Amino acid sequence: MKVSLNLVKKFINLDGLTVDEIVHRLTFAGVEVESVEQIAYGTNLTVGEVITCEKMPDSDHLHLTTVFTGNYGLLHIVCGAPNVRVGLKVIVALDGAKLPGGITIKKGKIRGHESEGMLCSLLELGVNSKFLKEEQTKGIEELPSDSEVGNDNVLELLGLDDVILDLKLLANRSDLYSVINVAKELETLFGRKANISKSKDPKNKEISFAVNSLTDKCSQFSARVIKGIEVKESPKWIKQALMSSGIRSINNIVDIGNYVMLLTGQPLHMYDLDKLPATELIVRDDYEGDFVALDEKTYKVKNGDVVITSKGKVMCLGGVMGSLECAVDENTKNVVIESANFDFASIRRTSIRLNLSSDSSMRFVKGINPNQYNEVENFTAQLICDLCNAKEIGETNTYLKSKYIKKVVKTTPRYINARLGTSFTDEQIVSALKSAFISISEKDGVLACEIPDWRIDINGEADLSEEVIRILGFENVNSELPSIKLSVGQMEEKLLHKCEVRSFLRGLGLTEQLTYSLIRESEVKQFAILNKESAYKVMNPLTDEHEYVRTNLLPSLMNVLQYNVNHSQEDLSFFEVSDLYSEGNRHIHLGIILSGNDLRQSHLKGEAYSFYHMKGIVDGLLKLYGIEEKRYTYERSNASELHPGKSAMLKLDGKIIAHFGELHPIVASKLGLNKINVIALELDLDALFNTKVSQKKMEITSRFPAVKRDFALIVNNDVSAGQLTQEIKKVSRMLIKNVDIFDVYRGEHINHGHYSIALTVTFSSLEKTLTDSEINALQDQIIETLKSKFGAELRK
Amino acid sequence: MIEPIKKLIELKDKILEKINEAADEKTLKSVQEQDLSKKSSLSGMMSLISSLSGEDKITFGQAMNSTKKEIQEKFADKEKEIHEKAIKERLEKEKIDISLPGTTYKMGGINPFYQIVDEMIDVFTSMGYQVKEGPDVETDFFNFERMNIPANHPAREMQDSFYITNSTLLRTHTSPAQAHAMDEANGRPLKIICPGKCFRRDDDDATHSHQFGQIEGLVIDKNINLGNLKATLELFLRRMFGEKREVRFRSSYFPFTEPSVEVDISCMECHGKGCPMCKGTGYIEILGAGMVHPNVLEMSGYDPKEYSGFAFGIGIERVAMLRYGVDDIRKFYQGDVRFIEQFTRK
Repeated sequence: MKVSLNLVKKFINLDGLTVDEIVHRLTFAGVEVESVEQIAYGTNLTVGEVITCEKMPDSDHLHLTTVFTGNYGLLHIVCGAPNVRVGLKVIVALDGAKLPGGITIKKGKIRGHESEGMLCSLLELGVNSKFLKEEQTKGIEELPSDSEVGNDNVLELLGLDDVILDLKLLANRSDLYSVINVAKELETLFGRKANISKSKDPKNKEISFAVNSLTDKCSQFSARVIKGIEVKESPKWIKQALMSSGIRSINNIVDIGNYVMLLTGQPLHMYDLDKLPATELIVRDDYEGDFVALDEKTYKVKNGDVVITSKGKVMCLGGVMGSLECAVDENTKNVVIESANFDFASIRRTSIRLNLSSDSSMRFVKGINPNQYNEVENFTAQLICDLCNAKEIGETNTYLKSKYIKKVVKTTPRYINARLGTSFTDEQIVSALKSAFISISEKDGVLACEIPDWRIDINGEADLSEEVIRILGFENVNSELPSIKLSVGQMEEKLLHKCEVRSFLRGLGLTEQLTYSLIRESEVKQFAILNKESAYKVMNPLTDEHEYVRTNLLPSLMNVLQYNVNHSQEDLSFFEVSDLYSEGNRHIHLGIILSGNDLRQSHLKGEAYSFYHMKGIVDGLLKLYGIEEKRYTYERSNASELHPGKSAMLKLDGKIIAHFGELHPIVASKLGLNKINVIALELDLDALFNTKVSQKKMEITSRFPAVKRDFALIVNNDVSAGQLTQEIKKVSRMLIKNVDIFDVYRGEHINHGHYSIALTVTFSSLEKTLTDSEINALQDQIIETLKSKFGAELRK
Repeated sequence: MIEPIKKLIELKDKILEKINEAADEKTLKSVQEQDLSKKSSLSGMMSLISSLSGEDKITFGQAMNSTKKEIQEKFADKEKEIHEKAIKERLEKEKIDISLPGTTYKMGGINPFYQIVDEMIDVFTSMGYQVKEGPDVETDFFNFERMNIPANHPAREMQDSFYITNSTLLRTHTSPAQAHAMDEANGRPLKIICPGKCFRRDDDDATHSHQFGQIEGLVIDKNINLGNLKATLELFLRRMFGEKREVRFRSSYFPFTEPSVEVDISCMECHGKGCPMCKGTGYIEILGAGMVHPNVLEMSGYDPKEYSGFAFGIGIERVAMLRYGVDDIRKFYQGDVRFIEQFTRK
């Protein structure tokens, strides 16, 4: 809401207050001033009269002029405006004048001719061209011939000395879409009396006109007929008031409508009486059909839209826009002024559906004062009387759903202090409320507060507490920590687990990522790797880039990888932990990507990340949650996104909870990641978190020395290391503590289709030191078992 | 002097010279074997004693002992000298270039978004708050209605949302997590923060993001007032931005709080004097807060006559941007490791 301070000053004396003071006070009281603007700007300006004016010999448009400027003497000024001529009163920017856009006027020579200033147009003083007539934009401003030469107050002379406060109004203060209410707000905040006079009813004739409403979406509808008006240009003061508020002047009757709305916040609509099918206006909401609006466009009106009809024909889309059919134009003689109050929700729906919004519809949507229509009608009629020379003024005809009931809210100073943490006296509270135009009657310590009709936002005690504190100031709030019962501060379990996993992975040197939850449809499909549930689709996405709620993390992390690779980054290891939402479900996933080298392997040249790095991380996670080896298995993954030979899925208690491994070469190519090694993981953390693990008890460690024996075996490629180690452990669960693999070799000296594997088996007993012969026996048993089960041979 | 002693002295001089000349352990060891062992020339000298008698026998015996002792001492000295030299040479040889990089044992980088979340959780759990996350996919009942924003309420204009169905959407703020927490609390006092992701239909640019993070705080008990909110926020904001921060309230409006306030902190660059960072105002807008609206309490099963509460909501990226001087909100989501890896700790 752009508020002209000059207009506000018509209602309240602001002498002695700086703009900064006003802005500061308003801002802290909940009326944020977003910016302070000047309608026009310029220093060192004066009024001059053109004494001589000749064409510059070597130019097609420049003139050499002499301009008399009173005290500043006779100045030589070169001017390019086509309308410069002898006798014209003009705006002169003198030497040193500062104009908008950082321009400073300096004496100088233009094409060899001395120029001691500049003759200005209003554009050059910063006035928006939308407020200017075409001729004003093409040449210098022509001042009235009676303008006093040498008058330095040029902006004031032009009525352009205004300061505009751009108020960022919050949803609760719809009352401030009214200059009069802004003046009242300043009265509240500065304790200066605003002077707002009541209008008299200028009615001078009985003119019958019927009004009614057939819908409960209209709580009040008033109309008044005024006859014999003259439509013409508005006087300067009203034009300036509109211009300062960002509204273009049209003609006197339209301008009056806008001016009244600006001052009172009540939107008006004007009908040309002679174009109405009948002397009636009926509000309805059951119309379906086409409607040609003032903007000459056709709109589809639907059942439920508030419309104003006359003899069944739609004359106005209530609160939004009038029809072209009965629009006021320069030939209009007789008008009907409508002031009404419509249900904001319904106006909002219509306005959004038709993509039609105006200053009027915006005010209806925010909410208007339900109890000022009479005053508004009288004020408007009086203005039409004064500015349009109206002959006959009829009475206001009103339909009222129900009579306005004064709002009374009861409270106590004790409640207010208790809510605010303040120690105001009863008097302070009462006087603050009174300053906000709340009338108070006290009985037994209870304040019955009658709320002014324009404050539709005040409905309860809490609202009154806000009034008190914003008026008396938040610096009065006593800062004091709450004294409440002690309780354990903690994260909910899942969040705690997420934090553990995150710090575990960061501890491994992996970088934590955060990516968007909304992704492309193609991305959802490309990596439906673990969670196959269907993804939520956004009904109203902004772009197809963010249309689906992701169901897996790898699509996002692939984007991150691509981004970093494109920015010349290599040796990447990162992860994201995030909640995922798919149709009806919520999962917590972990995604990891490893690419390039693991720099921990050496300080200069790391080892390339492989499947086994990722497997190690997964092992670490399982260990972190104390999940015993017998509860999970790694099996070959069937995920089409991964290399079939270099990937695995993790089954925990029989359920697949992760896929990981090298990216499938075809997928890698598609993603442009085929030149690097990419190891990816998608894991369902919920499954990990939800796995019940029994309380860990201490295991007894042996006091007797352990013995290690190494084996090198040649086995068929079909036999996995996992099978071998499991089988070895089975030989004696009591005495075999560990089986570690320390080398795997394929190639020279090994038969085709076979490989060599070297293992260390650790033997230990809780009861004694094992003898050589006991160990030898176990060793023979191991070799025998492996030979018979897998055809394994000892390597010689 | 008797002949054997003369021989002994000659031998001693020879051995001492050999010891003296030995330059390494190996040579010294051969000297030991040749001249100091039981079969050595020195031990052989002992046989000469049989040719002596009386006084001479005693004198020679004494000379023999002192010679042995002298040689052994010299030998030990030499052994020590050679050993020290060898160690010195070895250490010299083993010298490495300490300017070469160390093996990478760093913590992984943390997205500054999570750095802020984790710190806030620390601050509030230390004050006894619970931490709970609400769902990202919400019903409009929880997102709006329960937050005192009924259908067609003008405040819904402030929040343009991503809808999944007509009644479910991606939450536009973390406030609905409050409502869930209140339902769970079932009328009992509550002290909670709810971090999480939020979504609004904003085009992404340097200062707007269709996805962003918020942390919601809520305290409900008897006798909770605005001053309690102020003290809590002062404590928290000073922890996050430094002990010298001043906190001030400005009147504001949120449908779910009354009174509502915008909270500013004194600028950490200029400490309130005014600078480009705070646009000359000396203060920076940091979060929105207020006293829980009685309607919200009532809808959540609390009697507003008996209970009151405060709530606040803070933008996670905003805090991170202010603290770390991040100039573009999109950087939190791009995944550029050069950006993230700058932020391991405060």
